Amino acid sequence: MGFREINSKMVEATVMPGQRLFSQRGAMLAYKGEVSFTPNMAGGQGGIMSMIGRRVANEDTPLMSVEGSGTVLFGHGGHHVQVINLSGDTLCVEADRLLAFEGTLQQGTMFLGSQGGVMGMVRGQISGQGLFTTTLKGHGAVAVMAHGGVFEIPITPQRPVHVDPQAYVAHHGDVRNKLSTALGWRDMVGRGSGEAFQLELSGSGAVYVQASEEKL
Amino acid sequence: MAPRTGGYLRCVAMFRLQGSKVLAVDMTGDAVKAKNGSMVAYDGQMAFKKMSGGGEGLRGMVTRRLTGEQMTVMEVKGHGTCWFADRASEINLVSLQGDKLYVESSNLLATDAGLRTGTSFTGMRGASQGNGLFTTTVEGHGQAAIMSDGPAVVLRVSAQYPLTVDPGAYVAHQGNLRQSFQSGVTFRTLMGEGGGEAFQIRFEGDGLVYVQPSERNTIAGDV
Repeated sequence: MGFREINSKMVEATVMPGQRLFSQRGAMLAYKGEVSFTPNMAGGQGGIMSMIGRRVANEDTPLMSVEGSGTVLFGHGGHHVQVINLSGDTLCVEADRLLAFEGTLQQGTMFLGSQGGVMGMVRGQISGQGLFTTTLKGHGAVAVMAHGGVFEIPITPQRPVHVDPQAYVAHHGDVRNKLSTALGWRDMVGRGSGEAFQLELSGSGAVYVQASEEKL
Repeated sequence: MAPRTGGYLRCVAMFRLQGSKVLAVDMTGDAVKAKNGSMVAYDGQMAFKKMSGGGEGLRGMVTRRLTGEQMTVMEVKGHGTCWFADRASEINLVSLQGDKLYVESSNLLATDAGLRTGTSFTGMRGASQGNGLFTTTVEGHGQAAIMSDGPAVVLRVSAQYPLTVDPGAYVAHQGNLRQSFQSGVTFRTLMGEGGGEAFQIRFEGDGLVYVQPSERNTIAGDV
């Protein structure tokens, strides 16, 4: 199981009976074997309550569930794809960046305000994440899309990492994030360096950053 | 990570590529100049300050106003590693040993703070590249990072082997090069039967030319 990277923009997944995959609707490129794709009205796992939760949170990217036996190729919009393997920890990612993930992972929605209160909400607005973000927890693999290549920066308690909110893709591990501002008088008079807001990630884990400041 | 030693050793920012689209710079208290807003991540302590290209002082300001070759540059200073990237462009490292690099300001991502940047007149060539009449020069000892649309090739020009480049694919050049503008405009071009390669830049002398596998929109591209 898991995802195999064919090239930087395509992943191949093996589906076996009894194992389910979720993927963004329409992201299938090709498949071999007996595989069925069913649109997932609930937009992921969980019951009707989590579906309503996602609707409210605007994190309800149309998903489909992939079942059967065979191999499936996924890719979307020519974006670079990064496979992240989770072993028990939590990955925070924007729903529209999710290409595919294994059914063994638990999907959830996190309210940014719960992490840092009002500043968390402000952070969500500035980084374009909105007020909610999707979390995936458990053991399994996730394929995440990004514009340009993705690279990983480890975060250790001694080394907090600052990320441009537009270049932020995802993070995993036990990481706290807060918005740090470097607003000075120069920004007020319109002579800022263009780096007024940064996401400060501290704790232990890793952050994925894309080589571009464009949203998907 | 670069060893965090200071002392009497001259600290130079270390430029390295992380993949082909991300530039990582290890800094130990020194500074680099980078394109405004191109930072994607950093660790350690960093300070960002806006600067303006085209040379220093009042003269630089007048030059920028006149030439339109203004690049908004920021100075990044601190301890730690800083990562730069811009719209997923490919990045090429250029090391300069006292020679001069000519590059379009839009293609320049970052330079060592010790390098001098200025503006020079390019004439007809600039206009044909669709970039205006002026270009940015980088001079001194140190490293610079330039961006290209697709991985750039470095072509060597020597006295026996002059090089002719499509203006839209030209990114930068360094060394002791003379450039001249060539036009292959013939009767057929005027009749609208051109081959799409009516203008070229010819480099003669000794040096390096960076060419990207993509063509900007130029006037020359249409004829």
